[in-house]
Amino acid sequence: MTSPFVKHLHSLRRHGLRRSRGLTRRALLQGAAASALAIPAFGLLRPEARAASGLAERIIFFYFPDGVPGPSQDGEASLWHASGSESSFTLGEALKGLEPWRDRCLFFNGLSLGATDTGSHPGGAKKLLTATDYGNNESIDQHLSRTVGADAWWRHLSLGVMAKADNASGDKLISYVGPGSPLSPEDNPSTAFGLLFGDGGSSTDDGGEPDATALRRASVLDANLEDLEELRAQLDGAERAKLDLHVEAVREVEQRVLGTSGGGGGTGSCEVPALSDSFTSEELYDPARFPDLLKTQIDLMVLSMACGLTRVGTLQCSHHTSELLMSRFPGTEMYDPSYDMRSHQASHYGSKHDWDKREFKAFVQQRQYWVDQFAYLLERLDAMPEGDGTMLDNSLVVLCTEVCDGNTHLHDNMPFVVAGGGGGAINNGRLLQYGYERHGKLFVSLARAMGEDLWSFGDSASGDLYGVLR
Amino acid sequence: MKRPFCLPPALLLPLALALACERGRKDDDPTTEAEVCEAPSAPPRQLRLLTRREYNRTVEDLFGGGSGASCDDDADCDITTESCSGGACLADPCTLHTFVFDPNGASVGRVHVAGTFNGWPGTEAAGGWPMEYIASLDLWVTKRALDEGQHQYKFVVDESTWMHDTANGVTVDDGYGGYNSVLNLECGEAEQVAADFPSETRPKGFGYDNHAASAIVSSTHVEMYLRAAEELSERALRDLPSVLPCDPDELGEEACLSALIEEFGRRAWRRPLTAAQAERLLTRALAEDSFDDGVAVVIQALLTSPYFLYRSELGQGVGAGAYVLTDHELAAALSYTLWGTTPDEALLDAADAGELHTADEREAAARRLLADPRARAHLQDFAVMWLEIQSNETASKASWVEDDFPALREDMEAEVRAFFEHVVFDGAGTVDSLLTSRTTYVDADLAELYGLTGVTGQSLEEVTLPEGQRGGVLGLGAVLAATSHSDSSSPILRGLFVRERLLCQPLGTPPADVPAIPEIASDATTRERFEQHTADPVCASCHQYIDPVGFGFEAYDAVGRYREQEGGKPVDASGDMVDVELMGAGTHAPFFTLGELGEILAESDAAELCFSRNVWRFTMGFEEESGDLCAIEALTAQGDDVQDLLIELVTSPEFVQREQR
Repeated sequence: MTSPFVKHLHSLRRHGLRRSRGLTRRALLQGAAASALAIPAFGLLRPEARAASGLAERIIFFYFPDGVPGPSQDGEASLWHASGSESSFTLGEALKGLEPWRDRCLFFNGLSLGATDTGSHPGGAKKLLTATDYGNNESIDQHLSRTVGADAWWRHLSLGVMAKADNASGDKLISYVGPGSPLSPEDNPSTAFGLLFGDGGSSTDDGGEPDATALRRASVLDANLEDLEELRAQLDGAERAKLDLHVEAVREVEQRVLGTSGGGGGTGSCEVPALSDSFTSEELYDPARFPDLLKTQIDLMVLSMACGLTRVGTLQCSHHTSELLMSRFPGTEMYDPSYDMRSHQASHYGSKHDWDKREFKAFVQQRQYWVDQFAYLLERLDAMPEGDGTMLDNSLVVLCTEVCDGNTHLHDNMPFVVAGGGGGAINNGRLLQYGYERHGKLFVSLARAMGEDLWSFGDSASGDLYGVLR
Repeated sequence: MKRPFCLPPALLLPLALALACERGRKDDDPTTEAEVCEAPSAPPRQLRLLTRREYNRTVEDLFGGGSGASCDDDADCDITTESCSGGACLADPCTLHTFVFDPNGASVGRVHVAGTFNGWPGTEAAGGWPMEYIASLDLWVTKRALDEGQHQYKFVVDESTWMHDTANGVTVDDGYGGYNSVLNLECGEAEQVAADFPSETRPKGFGYDNHAASAIVSSTHVEMYLRAAEELSERALRDLPSVLPCDPDELGEEACLSALIEEFGRRAWRRPLTAAQAERLLTRALAEDSFDDGVAVVIQALLTSPYFLYRSELGQGVGAGAYVLTDHELAAALSYTLWGTTPDEALLDAADAGELHTADEREAAARRLLADPRARAHLQDFAVMWLEIQSNETASKASWVEDDFPALREDMEAEVRAFFEHVVFDGAGTVDSLLTSRTTYVDADLAELYGLTGVTGQSLEEVTLPEGQRGGVLGLGAVLAATSHSDSSSPILRGLFVRERLLCQPLGTPPADVPAIPEIASDATTRERFEQHTADPVCASCHQYIDPVGFGFEAYDAVGRYREQEGGKPVDASGDMVDVELMGAGTHAPFFTLGELGEILAESDAAELCFSRNVWRFTMGFEEESGDLCAIEALTAQGDDVQDLLIELVTSPEFVQREQR
């Protein structure tokens, strides 16, 4: 009862495979000399450029907590949303950091989460990427990782910055692998870096064939699959579904190990330096280090995509109702060592936009900070040449938060921004205005921009969002 | 404990919750109806993914846990590194050092150890550590717990001849022309193989890391499992006898691999492998280039298999949709419930022999497990999650409240663990005493925080707290800090802690359209600020259940420091434990100290039932439904002793029965 795989293993061994002289995780983590590694060192195959077919190569979701200074209780205009016409519009004060990028972005008015039954922040966060009440669905990032991202080295890269602080239950996470099952992002850049660029996954000999380490890993994974299949056959319902996901996960790793992943569209300029910064376990949750952590995670996200390791990424900054002490961010306008200002505290700035009020001023500054970080992500993507343009041209980058105005908690007029050209699929540089459209339709459009023939997503969105795609 | 309400809890939560109570109340709202046991049901069939905590302990037991060889006493084990426990040889903890004196056949009457750790006593009467003669080994031995760091010692034979330890090459001049032996004890943190695994998730309010339905294996898990298994197999290959039950040169490589699969497989999978499973693993091992690679692939395949990663509580069908756990599932259920780790040899043997199916058999097994130190460590973990103090690990405090919270929170967690262990294992043992005991454990920093004198060291010492202040879990610094913001106490979070964690009375979540928030005078005390909000009748509809309870904690600041004034104004720390049994009942129980609140809770049925519900969740890995309440109510029928409660649970029919839910 020798499995086909074991036979294959025998045959490969007979051909005298050598052990890898390849990378060690330690060497990479130390990264004394920022060595430029050619993609083939990772066994990646350069995929057909999707851009040629007018489709988006990759998508990144960038989440920040606690909403924006939208229309106030007293009826003042939003300091976030753009106003004007489709092609001639003015950005809100809080969005001014995107002014240099306005031609590369789509802005929205009138996108709604619909009613959420579980309270404003928690309900919004569960519904934000699932487009379904109570998070009772997989989220769009996870969905795309299974479909258009399935042949990538890593189907999904989930990074966080203090997303697990004050969140032991994980109830405040936004990415859902299945109904009611959020996925923990990796808050530690070193751990994520080790996984992505360390000695995991595949290693190949000079001929591009899996080496002995890879073959043993593949044999172990093959054994896992046999056991999983045997156990799965005895089950039904939720327990069987659990193992189905487990099988999927093993297959993804197996693809990596055997080097049969298609890769996620490397740019050809895959530089693998050391991490730009490192953090002690205490620093991972020290608000004074938050800006450095976020920058490091953004760099890592861009780096892994430049190396073609993944097509779908999610970056969760903190979480809803955040206790994050943004007044401790050094070198920012918010910095105030004599007063602790939390994200969520600031979001309740009162009934009007009162610049003399400490909470309101801090809230606008905080939101400007998030927008600036989003702009930094765009800048990094735009600095990477890809095809005839840059990575940003072939990317979709989504800015999102779980409520509209942080004080009123409404879920209408959700402050989404989509940046990047999507390989030509997106007609950007415009303000799209709707009377009322569900945000699930935006996700349908984004999936279609990546080449998936999707027509509905979430609990009441069918069709795409008019005007997004070219 | 921080709740995901939509308003900043410090100032604004009252309004939001009030609106929730006004508008969001549903027919089954607990303020109008007590939860009662309806038609009893069996727990669901589940696969229970090992948590990071369980994974670490499990691999520690499988690899670092000693040879596991059966034994009657320590002499049957590798005496310098192992002790005999529960019929198996288990590795000693790093800080337990074994002193061994070899008389080389000479006849001596007695030997003791003298050194820097006990003041160099010349006699046993003066405090020398007596050694025991083990005739079968012809050695004198004693095992002693030592602090980490450097120690010097000598052996004293017949209380007259001082000798250094000839088996220890590290010595220093003793100043008398001889040598002192030197011991450098460095343990460090035990390496946690699973430290980087993705963290567990669970529904809000569940409380424990082992919620089975939430545990999904992602590709990151698979990568991490693979790496951990590789690291563990490398470790095993460096010390092959620790896992290998045979010598491949004597038995032959194939037969030895078979023996490894059978014996290590049984320990890893907590049951014997089927013939087919063993066969396919052997085929895989034989496909490797060398014997060592074969061993590696066996260990890695076993440790990344779903049969290792999930604890099965699927049971065997007994007809009519009913299932009962198998013998080996029961062994694992017992060990993970009471130890948080894999079954030991004695439990596996009992499962092999079918000796865990009667309540009496399980009671005997449970009593043995509870008497083992592993039960203490495991139930300390329960306490940390029960009290939801993990948020301290990632919290910051304002520098003007506490300048070294990272150090303080470690002391605080250590106190929680020592407090809980003392009550449950060495003290009164009851839920009541968890809520009221004034015996706790502090070092100099915590003593200063609590205003106690006489504790000056950096290790925890047992103290009795003065009457009329703190008492029980309510007064623990960790709990008070976790229910605060960075710069201020939170009567709301503290009131919710009592309501939700200690009474299992959850409140609704606020609606989305919360109106404007009233302005507040900036020099008001915390209590005054909240009272302005709750004076509003709309707010009060919900906050009558939260604020009067939380106000009673106001004598403690954002890190749990006692205070009589806040911002120059006197603190009013009077509280009212309204409706302790059932929200909406209209009862009042005024109190002036946390000690008094603890007494009120200790006398309530709701707190006792709530504790049982927590133990149930921690044991069963799912959130109880009304059909489970019958069984949960029955747990405390014999009283509220925590160990008895666990015994009742493991001997109950529900521990064994399962159904497809």
